[in-house]
Amino acid sequence: MGPGFQLRTLKSALLEGNLVRGLKPEEAIAALVDVSFTVARGEAFGFIGSNGSGKSTLLKLVAGILRPDAGRVLVDGRVAALIELGAGFHPEISGRENVYINGAVLGLSRREVDARFDRIVEFSGLADFIDEPVKTYSSGMYVRLGFAVAIHTEPDVLLVDEVLAVGDEAFAHRCLRKIEELLAGGRTLLLVSHSLALMEGVCDRVLWLDRGVARMVGEPRRVADAYREAVAEEEGRRHLEEKTRQDEKTKQERGEEQAARTGGEEGAVAAAETPRRWGSRQAEIVGVRLLAGGEERYHLRSGEAVAVELQVEAREPLDDFVFGIALSTPRGLEVWGTNTALEGYQPRRLEGTVRVRVDCPELLLAAGEYVLDAAVHARDGAPYDYRKQVLSFSVTAPTAEIGVYRPRHGWHFEGAIVWGAAE
Amino acid sequence: MLARLLHFRGLLFTLTARELKARYRGSLLGFFWSLVNPLLLLGVYTLVFDVVFRNRAGGAQPYAVFLLGGLFPWIWFSTALLDGTVSLAANAGLLRKAVFPAEVLPAVSVLASLAHYLLALPVLLAALLVARLWLHHPVGGWSILLLPFALLLQLPFTLGLALALGALNVHFKDVRDLLANLLTLLFFLTPILYPLESIAAVRPLRLLVAANPVTPFIRLHQELLFFGRVPAPALWLQAAGLALLAWAIGSWLFERLAQTLVEAV
Repeated sequence: MGPGFQLRTLKSALLEGNLVRGLKPEEAIAALVDVSFTVARGEAFGFIGSNGSGKSTLLKLVAGILRPDAGRVLVDGRVAALIELGAGFHPEISGRENVYINGAVLGLSRREVDARFDRIVEFSGLADFIDEPVKTYSSGMYVRLGFAVAIHTEPDVLLVDEVLAVGDEAFAHRCLRKIEELLAGGRTLLLVSHSLALMEGVCDRVLWLDRGVARMVGEPRRVADAYREAVAEEEGRRHLEEKTRQDEKTKQERGEEQAARTGGEEGAVAAAETPRRWGSRQAEIVGVRLLAGGEERYHLRSGEAVAVELQVEAREPLDDFVFGIALSTPRGLEVWGTNTALEGYQPRRLEGTVRVRVDCPELLLAAGEYVLDAAVHARDGAPYDYRKQVLSFSVTAPTAEIGVYRPRHGWHFEGAIVWGAAE
Repeated sequence: MLARLLHFRGLLFTLTARELKARYRGSLLGFFWSLVNPLLLLGVYTLVFDVVFRNRAGGAQPYAVFLLGGLFPWIWFSTALLDGTVSLAANAGLLRKAVFPAEVLPAVSVLASLAHYLLALPVLLAALLVARLWLHHPVGGWSILLLPFALLLQLPFTLGLALALGALNVHFKDVRDLLANLLTLLFFLTPILYPLESIAAVRPLRLLVAANPVTPFIRLHQELLFFGRVPAPALWLQAAGLALLAWAIGSWLFERLAQTLVEAV
């Protein structure tokens, strides 16, 4: 069950007489607690939640693979569990023979597989490879064949666990069409997926599981929105935590550096070698914050007003200095960068601790993760303090558009174009 | 348990066929290996025991043929147990991810290894014929027609043990190693290398061999195949009793452990 499960020794089991009473895990983590729901015939019911929230366990309970320690599961009709595709496939033997084996594992007789064989092969699109050993298949082909067999068992209740994510796009569409066909024919679907869009598109109702507890059940869009919000909140908290950790590290580094400086030059050399930060430290960036809506925040909405604030400490009075910031994606794509020299500020004097703020009335970024670099350097580029990826933040947008830039925009149509209601 | 196994007989046979096919797939000789292996054994044993060390085991002549008559059913038994013991753990994916009748897996191991025994039988029969017709040894006979009954007794005996060991091995990984060593020991306590009569004088050994639950089954095979005699009713009864006992214990223990099987595997 959970990671708490422990193996005992044969000796202790024999001594305690556990073999007679049946073995029970000594320590267990409850995967699901007090989760109750009813799914009507012909309904498409979805489960969302982060990894480890109990979605798969729930499907396995419905499938009858696992038994509940408490409570009941009632299922009326034949269940097909598309949890692992290609169960029982043997790599050495042909796709054709494996269809029969997989069919038998899923409860079909040889004659029943015979009757469905052509449809299965056609659906999988593997007619040319069906007599090759399965070990020569790509993982996508493997899954396609497995899905084809499972879907043709003609189940009353179909349990699908994140299997649509594999295989190519064309096949995913074919699977969805088939599932919709089954739904139209009065079959029932229980679907687990991390794709909220898929959930909203296919399901009638969605249940949100959070660490084994049902948080919310109802109309897909409403549940998905609530879930998204919770995830975003969680992410924001994580960014903030990470930043706090980094700030502390910086403080520590500074302390060490000062200690090293009094001892000799080696300390400064070592500090210069840390890849995320370099410079002479004549001026030092001691803090970088992201401000939105009057508070420090690292989870932003596209289009809202934000500010980047640098706190800089000059070790000595300087008359040559440039402040800069740069934005990029975690994978290194440069999004935007600017500095005071580029924008025409002529440096005269910098002394003591100062604050520098860049205000952005509208953050026109597409949804995604971003990292920020901050720097103080001389006009010829010689760095005083260059801090790469000094903070990271995430941006959410109401629609998942492509790229990093999200300008205000709208669609306008002229002529004979008709649009239906949303989804 | 029996009802469930019968209910899943389609799956049982499909998976057994898978085992056999997969074992020989990609090899040039295919199923022919099932014949080559025993032939080779026969050749080597004949050379070593009937040519090099002549006439060591009194009574049983030719010795190589006697040896194979006991060795083949022993190989069936021991391979079935070894494979059956790991069958559940080895197919963890199947158990965890599909609605799968777990008891089928040890049964597949037992049946697949029975199939290998049956495939090796022709070699033994040919050897018996050669020994009887050309070398004029008084071996073999019509008693062989009773062999299916011996198989029918050994099947539930082996299956019962395989079910118990398979389920236990899921919870306690030491079972496999324990079994491997126990089987080595048991091999010498079964009258395979020597006829039972040859140890009649050594009392403690005789008692140990008689107490060995595998002895009656191997002796059934030897009587029917090599000696060409219809075994005494006592031997049949002994085997039947043991088969019943092993089956009862095995299916009972398996059902006990089945509750937690999927979580532990």
